Amino acid sequence: MRFLTFSIFLLLLSCAPFPKKMGYQPTSLDAREIRNPYFADVQKDYVYKANIIVFENNFGGILVLKKLADQTHRIAFTTELGNTIFDFTLSGTDFKVNRILKEMDRKILLSILEQDFRSLIQEEIVPLNIYTKNDSELTKTKIGSKTHFYTFKNDILTNITRVGNEKEKVVITFSEIDDRMARQIVISHKTMKLTISLQAIK
Amino acid sequence: MNRILAILLLFSYLGFAQTRMSAEAAKSLQQLVKQKAEETQTITSDFVQYKHLDFLSSDIESTGKMAYKSPDNVSWQYVKPFSYKVVFKGQKLLINDNGNKSKLDLGSNELFKQLNHLISASINGNMFNANDFEIAYFKENETSLVHFLPRDPQFSEFILAFHITFSQRGTVEEVKMIEPSGDYTRIVFSNRIENKTLPDAVFDL
Repeated sequence: MRFLTFSIFLLLLSCAPFPKKMGYQPTSLDAREIRNPYFADVQKDYVYKANIIVFENNFGGILVLKKLADQTHRIAFTTELGNTIFDFTLSGTDFKVNRILKEMDRKILLSILEQDFRSLIQEEIVPLNIYTKNDSELTKTKIGSKTHFYTFKNDILTNITRVGNEKEKVVITFSEIDDRMARQIVISHKTMKLTISLQAIK
Repeated sequence: MNRILAILLLFSYLGFAQTRMSAEAAKSLQQLVKQKAEETQTITSDFVQYKHLDFLSSDIESTGKMAYKSPDNVSWQYVKPFSYKVVFKGQKLLINDNGNKSKLDLGSNELFKQLNHLISASINGNMFNANDFEIAYFKENETSLVHFLPRDPQFSEFILAFHITFSQRGTVEEVKMIEPSGDYTRIVFSNRIENKTLPDAVFDL
Protein backbone atom coordinates (compact mmCIF):
# COMPACT_ATOMS: atom_id res chain seq x y z
CA MET A 1 0.00 0.00 0.00
CA ARG A 2 2.83 2.31 0.92
CA PHE A 3 4.53 1.37 -2.35
CA LEU A 4 1.33 2.20 -4.29
CA THR A 5 1.06 5.61 -2.61
CA PHE A 6 4.70 6.28 -3.37
CA SER A 7 4.22 5.21 -7.03
CA ILE A 8 1.17 7.47 -7.42
CA PHE A 9 3.10 10.32 -5.83
CA LEU A 10 5.98 9.78 -8.29
CA LEU A 11 3.56 9.58 -11.22
CA LEU A 12 1.85 12.81 -10.17
CA LEU A 13 5.21 14.49 -9.70
CA SER A 14 6.45 13.44 -13.14
CA CYS A 15 3.27 14.85 -14.75
CA ALA A 16 3.46 18.05 -12.72
CA PRO A 17 4.28 21.31 -14.53
CA PHE A 18 8.03 21.84 -14.88
CA PRO A 19 8.25 24.86 -12.48
CA LYS A 20 6.34 22.99 -9.75
CA LYS A 21 8.62 19.99 -10.18
CA MET A 22 11.60 22.28 -9.64
CA GLY A 23 10.01 23.74 -6.49
CA TYR A 24 9.06 27.16 -7.91
CA GLN A 25 5.92 29.17 -7.00
CA PRO A 26 4.06 31.31 -9.54
CA THR A 27 4.33 35.06 -9.06
CA SER A 28 2.72 38.09 -10.72
CA LEU A 29 3.63 38.73 -14.34
CA ASP A 30 4.67 42.37 -14.35
CA ALA A 31 5.50 44.23 -17.55
CA ARG A 32 9.24 44.00 -17.62
CA GLU A 33 11.90 43.32 -20.18
CA ILE A 34 13.87 40.11 -19.95
CA ARG A 35 17.06 39.69 -21.97
CA ASN A 36 19.80 37.21 -22.67
CA PRO A 37 22.85 39.53 -22.52
CA TYR A 38 25.53 37.04 -23.60
CA PHE A 39 25.62 37.52 -27.39
CA ALA A 40 24.16 41.00 -27.57
CA ASP A 41 27.17 43.25 -28.27
CA VAL A 42 27.68 44.01 -32.00
CA GLN A 43 31.21 45.26 -31.27
CA LYS A 44 32.29 41.95 -29.83
CA ASP A 45 33.62 38.74 -31.44
CA TYR A 46 32.50 35.81 -29.28
CA VAL A 47 35.13 33.09 -29.76
CA TYR A 48 34.98 29.75 -27.92
CA LYS A 49 37.03 26.56 -27.90
CA ALA A 50 34.37 23.89 -28.39
CA ASN A 51 34.26 20.28 -27.36
CA ILE A 52 31.44 18.15 -28.74
CA ILE A 53 30.58 14.70 -27.42
CA VAL A 54 28.12 12.86 -29.62
CA PHE A 55 27.37 9.15 -29.10
CA GLU A 56 30.74 8.50 -27.35
CA ASN A 57 32.66 10.37 -30.10
CA ASN A 58 34.64 13.34 -28.96
CA PHE A 59 35.75 16.14 -31.23
CA GLY A 60 36.82 19.73 -30.92
CA GLY A 61 36.98 22.99 -32.80
CA ILE A 62 36.43 26.73 -32.56
CA LEU A 63 32.91 28.19 -32.37
CA VAL A 64 32.55 31.82 -33.36
CA LEU A 65 29.42 33.93 -32.78
CA LYS A 66 28.86 37.49 -33.94
CA LYS A 67 25.85 39.74 -33.67
CA LEU A 68 25.59 41.52 -37.02
CA ALA A 69 22.39 43.53 -36.43
CA ASP A 70 19.23 43.37 -34.34
CA GLN A 71 18.01 39.75 -34.40
CA THR A 72 20.81 38.69 -36.79
CA HIS A 73 23.73 36.50 -35.75
CA ARG A 74 26.44 34.71 -37.71
CA ILE A 75 27.69 31.43 -36.21
CA ALA A 76 30.68 29.51 -37.61
CA PHE A 77 32.52 26.40 -36.50
CA THR A 78 36.08 25.67 -37.65
CA THR A 79 38.71 23.06 -36.84
CA GLU A 80 41.65 24.18 -34.70
CA LEU A 81 43.73 24.27 -37.90
CA GLY A 82 41.24 26.69 -39.42
CA ASN A 83 39.04 24.74 -41.85
CA THR A 84 35.40 25.83 -41.74
CA ILE A 85 33.00 23.01 -40.84
CA PHE A 86 29.81 25.07 -40.86
CA ASP A 87 28.77 28.70 -41.12
CA PHE A 88 25.17 29.82 -40.50
CA THR A 89 23.25 33.10 -40.42
CA LEU A 90 20.27 33.23 -38.03
CA SER A 91 17.98 36.16 -38.68
CA GLY A 92 14.49 36.42 -37.18
CA THR A 93 12.91 33.13 -38.27
CA ASP A 94 15.36 32.71 -41.19
CA PHE A 95 18.14 30.16 -41.10
CA LYS A 96 20.73 30.42 -43.84
CA VAL A 97 23.48 27.84 -44.33
CA ASN A 98 26.45 29.76 -45.76
CA ARG A 99 28.65 26.69 -45.71
CA ILE A 100 28.58 23.13 -44.36
CA LEU A 101 30.87 20.17 -44.81
CA LYS A 102 29.18 17.74 -47.21
CA GLU A 103 29.37 14.89 -44.68
CA MET A 104 27.42 16.98 -42.14
CA ASP A 105 24.75 18.26 -44.52
CA ARG A 106 21.89 16.30 -42.94
CA LYS A 107 18.45 17.80 -42.31
CA ILE A 108 18.12 16.36 -38.81
CA LEU A 109 21.55 17.62 -37.71
CA LEU A 110 20.90 21.08 -39.15
CA SER A 111 17.58 21.22 -37.34
CA ILE A 112 19.21 20.30 -33.97
CA LEU A 113 21.95 22.90 -34.44
CA GLU A 114 19.47 25.60 -35.52
CA GLN A 115 17.27 24.96 -32.49
CA ASP A 116 20.23 24.94 -30.06
CA PHE A 117 21.69 28.15 -31.47
CA ARG A 118 18.29 29.88 -31.45
CA SER A 119 17.92 29.02 -27.75
CA LEU A 120 21.50 30.19 -27.10
CA ILE A 121 21.32 33.62 -28.76
CA GLN A 122 17.66 34.73 -28.53
CA GLU A 123 18.06 38.16 -26.98
CA GLU A 124 14.59 39.51 -26.20
CA ILE A 125 12.35 37.24 -24.20
CA VAL A 126 8.62 37.73 -23.85
CA PRO A 127 7.63 36.27 -20.46
CA LEU A 128 4.49 34.11 -20.42
CA ASN A 129 4.73 33.25 -16.71
CA ILE A 130 7.15 33.98 -13.90
CA TYR A 131 7.93 31.72 -10.92
CA THR A 132 10.19 32.26 -7.91
CA LYS A 133 12.16 30.20 -5.39
CA ASN A 134 14.44 31.91 -2.83
CA ASP A 135 16.77 34.19 -4.83
CA SER A 136 15.98 32.46 -8.15
CA GLU A 137 13.44 33.36 -10.78
CA LEU A 138 12.11 31.15 -13.55
CA THR A 139 10.61 32.77 -16.65
CA LYS A 140 8.52 30.78 -19.09
CA THR A 141 8.68 31.82 -22.72
CA LYS A 142 8.40 30.45 -26.26
CA ILE A 143 11.07 30.48 -28.95
CA GLY A 144 9.23 29.53 -32.13
CA SER A 145 6.89 26.77 -31.01
CA LYS A 146 9.21 25.46 -28.25
CA THR A 147 8.71 26.16 -24.55
CA HIS A 148 11.76 27.49 -22.73
CA PHE A 149 12.44 28.38 -19.10
CA TYR A 150 15.04 31.02 -18.22
CA THR A 151 16.60 30.75 -14.76
CA PHE A 152 17.94 33.95 -13.22
CA LYS A 153 19.86 33.80 -9.93
CA ASN A 154 20.19 37.23 -8.32
CA ASP A 155 19.24 38.67 -11.74
CA ILE A 156 22.02 36.78 -13.54
CA LEU A 157 20.95 34.37 -16.30
CA THR A 158 22.36 30.95 -15.35
CA ASN A 159 20.27 28.46 -17.36
CA ILE A 160 18.02 28.14 -20.37
CA THR A 161 15.97 24.95 -20.35
CA ARG A 162 13.97 23.72 -23.33
CA VAL A 163 11.03 21.69 -22.05
CA GLY A 164 8.69 19.26 -23.81
CA ASN A 165 5.87 17.36 -22.04
CA GLU A 166 7.00 19.09 -18.81
CA LYS A 167 10.39 17.35 -19.09
CA GLU A 168 13.85 18.79 -19.71
CA LYS A 169 14.95 18.30 -23.32
CA VAL A 170 17.98 20.59 -23.51
CA VAL A 171 19.72 22.51 -20.73
CA ILE A 172 22.09 25.39 -21.46
CA THR A 173 24.24 26.36 -18.47
CA PHE A 174 26.16 29.65 -18.31
CA SER A 175 29.07 30.08 -15.90
CA GLU A 176 32.27 32.12 -15.39
CA ILE A 177 30.11 35.17 -16.06
CA ASP A 178 32.09 38.35 -16.47
CA ASP A 179 30.67 41.65 -17.69
CA ARG A 180 27.76 40.33 -19.78
CA MET A 181 29.87 37.50 -21.17
CA ALA A 182 29.54 33.84 -20.20
CA ARG A 183 33.05 32.42 -20.54
CA GLN A 184 31.86 28.87 -20.01
CA ILE A 185 28.73 27.38 -21.62
CA VAL A 186 27.45 23.80 -21.68
CA ILE A 187 24.61 22.72 -23.99
CA SER A 188 23.42 19.38 -22.71
CA HIS A 189 20.77 17.27 -24.49
CA LYS A 190 18.71 15.08 -22.16
CA THR A 191 17.00 12.91 -24.80
CA MET A 192 20.11 12.06 -26.84
CA LYS A 193 23.83 11.68 -26.23
CA LEU A 194 24.93 15.13 -27.30
CA THR A 195 26.86 17.66 -25.20
CA ILE A 196 28.51 20.82 -26.48
CA SER A 197 30.98 22.50 -24.08
CA LEU A 198 32.31 25.96 -24.83
CA GLN A 199 35.19 27.85 -23.19
CA ALA A 200 35.85 31.46 -24.23
CA ILE A 201 39.32 32.08 -25.68
CA LYS A 202 38.99 35.75 -26.57
CA MET B 1 43.17 65.82 -58.98
CA ASN B 2 45.83 65.27 -56.33
CA ARG B 3 43.72 62.51 -54.85
CA ILE B 4 43.51 60.71 -58.21
CA LEU B 5 47.27 61.07 -58.63
CA ALA B 6 47.83 59.65 -55.16
CA ILE B 7 45.60 56.66 -55.92
CA LEU B 8 47.42 56.07 -59.23
CA LEU B 9 50.78 56.26 -57.46
CA LEU B 10 49.57 53.85 -54.80
CA PHE B 11 48.44 51.36 -57.44
CA SER B 12 51.72 51.60 -59.32
CA TYR B 13 53.56 51.09 -56.03
CA LEU B 14 51.43 48.02 -55.22
CA GLY B 15 52.10 46.79 -58.75
CA PHE B 16 55.84 47.06 -58.11
CA ALA B 17 55.58 45.45 -54.68
CA GLN B 18 54.26 42.23 -56.20
CA THR B 19 55.45 41.39 -59.69
CA ARG B 20 55.21 38.23 -61.77
CA MET B 21 58.41 36.21 -61.78
CA SER B 22 60.20 35.39 -65.02
CA ALA B 23 60.23 31.74 -66.11
CA GLU B 24 63.95 31.44 -65.31
CA ALA B 25 63.53 32.98 -61.85
CA ALA B 26 60.62 30.61 -61.16
CA LYS B 27 62.75 27.64 -62.24
CA SER B 28 65.66 28.63 -60.01
CA LEU B 29 63.26 29.12 -57.06
CA GLN B 30 61.89 25.61 -57.64
CA GLN B 31 65.43 24.19 -57.67
CA LEU B 32 66.42 26.11 -54.53
CA VAL B 33 63.32 24.92 -52.59
CA LYS B 34 63.73 21.33 -53.81
CA GLN B 35 67.40 21.25 -52.81
CA LYS B 36 66.62 22.80 -49.41
CA ALA B 37 63.83 20.22 -48.83
CA GLU B 38 66.19 17.34 -49.69
CA GLU B 39 68.82 18.63 -47.25
CA THR B 40 66.27 19.08 -44.46
CA GLN B 41 65.48 16.02 -42.38
CA THR B 42 63.86 17.83 -39.44
CA ILE B 43 62.46 21.30 -38.74
CA THR B 44 61.23 22.86 -35.52
CA SER B 45 59.63 26.25 -35.53
CA ASP B 46 57.33 28.56 -33.60
CA PHE B 47 54.19 29.68 -35.37
CA VAL B 48 51.45 32.27 -35.11
CA GLN B 49 48.16 31.35 -36.76
CA TYR B 50 45.65 33.99 -37.83
CA LYS B 51 42.18 32.75 -38.70
CA HIS B 52 40.43 35.38 -40.77
CA LEU B 53 36.64 35.31 -41.01
CA ASP B 54 35.30 38.28 -42.92
CA PHE B 55 32.44 38.94 -40.49
CA LEU B 56 34.69 39.20 -37.41
CA SER B 57 36.21 42.48 -36.17
CA SER B 58 39.65 40.90 -35.77
CA ASP B 59 41.44 37.66 -36.67
CA ILE B 60 41.53 34.77 -34.19
CA GLU B 61 45.16 34.46 -33.15
CA SER B 62 46.77 31.30 -31.78
CA THR B 63 50.41 30.40 -31.21
CA GLY B 64 52.35 27.18 -30.86
CA LYS B 65 55.21 24.98 -31.96
CA MET B 66 55.58 22.95 -35.14
CA ALA B 67 57.88 19.97 -35.67
CA TYR B 68 58.55 18.13 -38.93
CA LYS B 69 60.48 14.95 -39.63
CA SER B 70 60.99 13.73 -43.18
CA PRO B 71 59.12 12.33 -45.02
CA ASP B 72 55.66 12.84 -43.47
CA ASN B 73 55.68 13.29 -39.69
CA VAL B 74 54.21 16.60 -38.59
CA SER B 75 53.28 17.85 -35.13
CA TRP B 76 51.27 21.03 -34.53
CA GLN B 77 51.13 21.98 -30.89
CA TYR B 78 48.93 24.93 -30.00
CA VAL B 79 49.92 26.51 -26.71
CA LYS B 80 47.82 29.70 -26.60
CA PRO B 81 44.97 30.47 -26.12
CA PHE B 82 44.16 26.74 -25.85
CA SER B 83 46.12 23.52 -25.49
CA TYR B 84 45.77 21.23 -28.50
CA LYS B 85 48.19 18.92 -30.30
CA VAL B 86 47.66 17.22 -33.62
CA VAL B 87 50.20 14.79 -35.08
CA PHE B 88 50.19 13.52 -38.65
CA LYS B 89 52.22 10.32 -38.57
CA GLY B 90 52.20 8.15 -41.67
CA GLN B 91 48.58 7.08 -42.12
CA LYS B 92 47.58 8.11 -38.61
CA LEU B 93 46.18 11.27 -37.13
CA LEU B 94 46.72 11.66 -33.37
CA ILE B 95 44.92 14.33 -31.36
CA ASN B 96 45.38 15.53 -27.79
CA ASP B 97 42.62 18.04 -27.09
CA ASN B 98 43.46 19.42 -23.65
CA GLY B 99 43.92 15.89 -22.25
CA ASN B 100 41.31 14.12 -24.42
CA LYS B 101 43.35 11.82 -26.64
CA SER B 102 42.12 10.23 -29.86
CA LYS B 103 43.57 8.36 -32.80
CA LEU B 104 42.24 8.20 -36.35
CA ASP B 105 43.34 5.90 -39.13
CA LEU B 106 43.30 7.83 -42.35
CA GLY B 107 44.39 4.90 -44.50
CA SER B 108 40.99 4.61 -46.16
CA ASN B 109 40.30 8.31 -46.57
CA GLU B 110 41.84 9.63 -49.80
CA LEU B 111 41.05 13.24 -49.04
CA PHE B 112 42.79 13.16 -45.66
CA LYS B 113 45.75 11.30 -47.15
CA GLN B 114 46.07 14.13 -49.64
CA LEU B 115 45.68 16.74 -46.91
CA ASN B 116 48.39 15.06 -44.83
CA HIS B 117 50.73 15.03 -47.82
CA LEU B 118 49.98 18.69 -48.51
CA ILE B 119 50.65 19.76 -44.93
CA SER B 120 54.06 18.06 -45.04
CA ALA B 121 54.74 19.53 -48.46
CA SER B 122 53.76 23.06 -47.48
CA ILE B 123 56.16 23.02 -44.51
CA ASN B 124 59.17 22.68 -46.76
CA GLY B 125 57.35 24.20 -49.73
CA ASN B 126 58.25 21.38 -52.10
CA MET B 127 54.88 21.05 -53.86
CA PHE B 128 55.76 22.18 -57.39
CA ASN B 129 53.66 19.50 -59.03
CA ALA B 130 51.94 20.87 -62.11
CA ASN B 131 49.58 17.88 -62.25
CA ASP B 132 48.15 18.67 -58.83
CA PHE B 133 48.30 22.49 -58.92
CA GLU B 134 48.01 25.46 -61.17
CA ILE B 135 51.07 27.46 -60.06
CA ALA B 136 51.80 31.19 -60.29
CA TYR B 137 55.06 32.88 -59.19
CA PHE B 138 55.48 36.39 -57.82
CA LYS B 139 58.35 38.47 -56.46
CA GLU B 140 57.46 40.49 -53.35
CA ASN B 141 60.27 42.76 -52.15
CA GLU B 142 62.97 40.36 -50.91
CA THR B 143 60.74 37.31 -50.78
CA SER B 144 59.05 35.03 -53.32
CA LEU B 145 55.33 34.34 -53.28
CA VAL B 146 53.90 31.26 -54.97
CA HIS B 147 50.19 30.58 -55.48
CA PHE B 148 49.20 26.91 -55.64
CA LEU B 149 45.64 26.25 -56.84
CA PRO B 150 44.56 22.61 -56.35
CA ARG B 151 43.25 21.09 -59.59
CA ASP B 152 41.19 18.40 -57.84
CA PRO B 153 37.65 19.86 -57.57
CA GLN B 154 36.95 17.75 -54.46
CA PHE B 155 39.98 19.27 -52.75
CA SER B 156 39.35 22.84 -53.86
CA GLU B 157 36.01 22.62 -52.06
CA PHE B 158 38.12 22.76 -48.87
CA ILE B 159 41.04 24.90 -49.93
CA LEU B 160 40.85 27.08 -53.00
CA ALA B 161 44.51 28.12 -52.88
CA PHE B 162 47.75 27.91 -50.91
CA HIS B 163 49.87 31.06 -50.95
CA ILE B 164 53.40 30.26 -49.77
CA THR B 165 56.01 32.93 -49.05
CA PHE B 166 59.62 31.77 -49.41
CA SER B 167 62.71 33.45 -47.96
CA GLN B 168 65.78 34.06 -50.10
CA ARG B 169 67.19 30.80 -48.65
CA GLY B 170 64.24 28.85 -50.07
CA THR B 171 62.57 28.19 -46.70
CA VAL B 172 58.86 28.72 -45.99
CA GLU B 173 58.14 31.90 -44.03
CA GLU B 174 54.37 31.97 -44.33
CA VAL B 175 51.51 29.77 -45.54
CA LYS B 176 48.08 31.16 -46.34
CA MET B 177 45.26 28.68 -46.98
CA ILE B 178 42.29 30.31 -48.67
CA GLU B 179 38.83 28.75 -48.45
CA PRO B 180 36.24 28.99 -51.25
CA SER B 181 34.39 31.71 -49.26
CA GLY B 182 37.51 33.91 -49.25
CA ASP B 183 38.08 33.34 -45.51
CA TYR B 184 41.61 32.18 -44.82
CA THR B 185 44.13 30.82 -42.31
CA ARG B 186 47.56 32.48 -42.31
CA ILE B 187 50.45 30.78 -40.53
CA VAL B 188 53.68 32.71 -39.93
CA PHE B 189 56.77 30.73 -38.90
CA SER B 190 59.67 31.99 -36.76
CA ASN B 191 62.73 30.63 -34.88
CA ARG B 192 63.24 27.85 -37.44
CA ILE B 193 65.81 25.21 -36.52
CA GLU B 194 66.85 22.63 -39.11
CA ASN B 195 68.26 19.12 -38.82
CA LYS B 196 68.27 18.89 -35.04
CA THR B 197 67.69 15.33 -33.81
CA LEU B 198 64.09 15.13 -32.57
CA PRO B 199 63.02 12.60 -29.92
CA ASP B 200 60.16 10.26 -30.98
CA ALA B 201 58.00 11.71 -28.19
CA VAL B 202 57.61 14.89 -30.27
CA PHE B 203 55.43 12.88 -32.66
CA ASP B 204 53.44 11.22 -29.89
CA LEU B 205 50.72 12.54 -27.62
